Amino acid sequence: METTISALMGAAEGGDGAAAEELFGALYSELHRMAKRELARRGTPVSLSATTLLHEAYLDMAARSGPSFPDRARFMGYAARVMRGLIIDHARERHAQKRGGLFEITSLDTESMEAAVDHRELVQMSEALDELGEVEPALAELVDLKFFCGFTFAEIAVLRDVSERTVQRNWEKARIYLHRKIRADLSL
Amino acid sequence: MSTLTPEQWQSLSPYLDQALALTGDERATWLASLGEQNPALAAQLGVLLEEHRVLAQEGFLEKGPAALPNAPGLAGQTLGPYTLISQIGQGGMGSAWLAERSDGRFERRVAVKFLNIALMGKGGEERFKREGSILGRLAHEHIAELVDAGVSAAGQPYLVLEYVEGDHIDRYCDERMLDVEARVRLFLDVLVAVAHAHANLIVHRDLKPSNVLVRNDGKVKLLDFGIAKLLEGEGHAGEATVLTVEGGRAMTPEYAAPEQLRGEPVTTATDVYALGVLLYVLLTGQHPAGSGTHTPADLVKAIVDTESPRPSDTVAPTQANAEIATTNATRRATTPEKLRRLLLGDLDTIVAKALKKNPRERYASVTALADDLGRYLRNEPISARPDTFAYRAAKFVRRNRTAVALATLAFAATIAGAAGTTVQARRAREERDFAFRQLSRAEAINDLNTFLLSDAAPSGKPFTVNELLGRAEQIVNLQRGDNASRVELLISIGRQYHSQDEDAKARRVLEEAYQLSRGLSEPSPRAQASCALGSAVARGTDRQRAEVLIQEGLRELPNQPQLTLDRVFCLLRGSEVARGQGASQKAIERAQAAKDLLKSSPLQSEILDLRALMDVAESYRVAGQYRDAIPVFEQASIVMDSLGRGNTETAGTLLNNWALALQLFGRPLEAEKLFRRAIDISSAGQSEEAVSPMLLNNYARTLRDLARLDEAAIYAERAYAKAKQSDARIVLQQSTAMRARIYRDQHDFARASAMFAEVEPMLRRNLPPGHAGFALLASEESLLELERGNLKAALQLANEGLTKLEATVKSGGPSEAMPTLLMRRSDIELRLSHPNEAAADASRAQSLLQTVAQPGTFSGNLGHAYLSWGRALQALGKREEAHAAFRSAAEHLQNAVGPDHPDTRAARQLAQLDTQPR
Repeated sequence: METTISALMGAAEGGDGAAAEELFGALYSELHRMAKRELARRGTPVSLSATTLLHEAYLDMAARSGPSFPDRARFMGYAARVMRGLIIDHARERHAQKRGGLFEITSLDTESMEAAVDHRELVQMSEALDELGEVEPALAELVDLKFFCGFTFAEIAVLRDVSERTVQRNWEKARIYLHRKIRADLSL
Repeated sequence: MSTLTPEQWQSLSPYLDQALALTGDERATWLASLGEQNPALAAQLGVLLEEHRVLAQEGFLEKGPAALPNAPGLAGQTLGPYTLISQIGQGGMGSAWLAERSDGRFERRVAVKFLNIALMGKGGEERFKREGSILGRLAHEHIAELVDAGVSAAGQPYLVLEYVEGDHIDRYCDERMLDVEARVRLFLDVLVAVAHAHANLIVHRDLKPSNVLVRNDGKVKLLDFGIAKLLEGEGHAGEATVLTVEGGRAMTPEYAAPEQLRGEPVTTATDVYALGVLLYVLLTGQHPAGSGTHTPADLVKAIVDTESPRPSDTVAPTQANAEIATTNATRRATTPEKLRRLLLGDLDTIVAKALKKNPRERYASVTALADDLGRYLRNEPISARPDTFAYRAAKFVRRNRTAVALATLAFAATIAGAAGTTVQARRAREERDFAFRQLSRAEAINDLNTFLLSDAAPSGKPFTVNELLGRAEQIVNLQRGDNASRVELLISIGRQYHSQDEDAKARRVLEEAYQLSRGLSEPSPRAQASCALGSAVARGTDRQRAEVLIQEGLRELPNQPQLTLDRVFCLLRGSEVARGQGASQKAIERAQAAKDLLKSSPLQSEILDLRALMDVAESYRVAGQYRDAIPVFEQASIVMDSLGRGNTETAGTLLNNWALALQLFGRPLEAEKLFRRAIDISSAGQSEEAVSPMLLNNYARTLRDLARLDEAAIYAERAYAKAKQSDARIVLQQSTAMRARIYRDQHDFARASAMFAEVEPMLRRNLPPGHAGFALLASEESLLELERGNLKAALQLANEGLTKLEATVKSGGPSEAMPTLLMRRSDIELRLSHPNEAAADASRAQSLLQTVAQPGTFSGNLGHAYLSWGRALQALGKREEAHAAFRSAAEHLQNAVGPDHPDTRAARQLAQLDTQPR
């Protein structure tokens, strides 16, 4: 599966739509395996972050597939978008649980109910990001890495081999775009 | 304001780059000069930059998806003709919304209640509507009307109810300072409504103040018959069906009846009980289970087991509650003493009858309860009869036959022991613990408990536990009577000696009990005697006999309900014996069997449940299954606290074992806190003199793992000194090794080396050949050589350690040390410039740890493995993978050993998390 991932990345970057889809499917199932157990776990004192999950996934796959595996920056770019999808799915799922669970008497888990994200807001954000991805893909990827996966500016700078200031400037730009987009939608 | 088109964005993008690179003042100047050349562009940019200022203030996208603000939810949505306005409640019942009729026909405010989707089941919508219509029959002036029922487009069933604006009945009464008589009259309205529902075969099941509202005009309105179960009446079978499968769980524990908590059938008597609680609260201002906050366990225990105090006793002022008593009395327009006298007698009796644990002993109907309250108001004799003391006492003795015997014995012995012996400071905590144990045996005899507690507490009169037990022994020997009870008492005394670590005395007394029991034919004392002796013998050298005795005991006990407790006793002793022999799977099985047996048995004892839990957890720990052990320890600790035993010596043991599991699982930061608590319990406000050397050494190990070396050295030295003093061989060996490791870390190599040399003969004395301890010692010594720079010798020792451990594992020994040994060898190989070997070892360590790790949680062990692996990958020139490994190492270590640990810092630096902006 690891070799397919590198092959798929190549094909996807060459403009092969089907390959891109397959790549996302493959990454999704791999990350899902790791992230699901993570995101599903609440109540543990401290849980691993999405960032660490991505790194462990990368390390895992790279160690298994050898030198042909794509570089980390490219991998993270794809994986971060997949992670965004996972987080939104999770929020949806929670939303469903929240509704289904109305009648549970148990006082447990009110905290996670409070913290539950409104999945619709996330979906909206995701749509805005997809649009941004059409105009400036690097900005969209940056938001995936920073907002959804918790990467630091320093880390993204290293990943992209640019200065941290550049990353920060791009982040501000992306925020302007998304804020404008989401606010416009809300005021409809 | 509209969204930008992609073209607009693309043309603005480079200017935004420029603008964002400037500081505030520079930006204004820049924008002004741009405005001179291209006013339209500057205006657009100005708007975007203003937007940037706003979003920066809001902290837009700064918090990650989990912290996004919550949506307004369902507000504004419509359900049929109703528009939801705002949420007015969320509880066991589900969520409730205030809504307005919006089809313009007539204006009316209603409450919409969403029901669990799982309730729908087969038949779906139609069935729900049909049952809703049955609820609609409940037209009564004191019951909130059911206006409509339906299923939303999204498939969510809901009820539309009359919206009642009012206060909870208890608050209503308090705010208006209603006296007792007015309260009883108002309560009678509640009873009329519930009786009406019962007549329609509908039980409320969730009566509580928030469901009993009183409007401003004084009219009572009952809410929430929505979850009521429709009782199957005669001739209606099949027609009136159960509305909710969740009904049994949809209740409020504070007002739940014992049968609800026991999962038994719910009847109209269930509502009688809840009404009794409500009346109690209205009359006294307190809950029958006592005031203050309750843990769920406490509450359940109180509801199921404990007779509640009489209302008149509850309101009586004491020194401790004078303020509360006065407040509550004032709210009832009287004084505490007058209130007490008002409640004394009839009201006490009526409430007690409504609150009977056994549904059949309660009022037969709500109407009967109402009748008695009516008689009370009219000063006529009521129908309910108070319980006599003899009745209560007889009932108690039936329930606690053995417990009474033991408590009486302890009582006598305590008086005898109080005469004049002196007490040693270190005994105080044991006596307190002993008192707690007595307490658990005879929970219900309150004055005895009080006596034992006040007398045996640290500040109480002096006596030693040994004294007490010695006298108890004498009393038993003097006793005439049947041998079965003598055997039981001897076992009890022997177990006490056992828990005081008086092993020889325990064996002597239990041997006597065992011999005596051979002449009996009853299985219970025979089996108990074998198993108790088995556990005592296991502490000595004759381990085989221990197992034989356990098996003998278990064979005596056929699986009959009346022998359940004996089986549990034997299984727990058997688990202990198996643990001592390293048969950890057998230990787990036995403890688990005991736990399951208790669960399926009608006998309810939280104390026994707790003991079984502790044995299950400890068995897992001994087996190295930390992932399984930790949650059980946690559960046991919660139960322990809820039983008020959080400060006993047993709690200290639990904390120590739990912490050890966390420590070995790579979570020293958490372990440190628990060890600290265990030490605090043992020291009981005094010095740490009385703390066991094993605990001190465990604590030293955790401090060392947290790189707090100076403190670690102090504790290890104290553990060593104490172990030497009390000739505790195992701790002596462990603390010697611990000191050696700490001094090595502190670069005191000569001292470390000398101490490691001392460890080897100790291992030979204490452990069987081939034990994993020998492998670990070699590995520790390899680290010493590494620190000293003798790389070749270090590698040799690391190899030796691994070879020994592999042999141990091959012969069935534990393999949990493997990752540690591999990591250490990896570090050595790296220094020897063998990066391939180093990477292989570290990678293997990491994957071994992953297989046992708890998914999604951090582990210091994993952190170290990633760190070693990362370094090896870096040496191999695999920059990307190395960074990923360091990143992981940083997060694991940060959480497991803390941000200031040198390894955490190293990992963060290597992962470039701490770099300055370029």
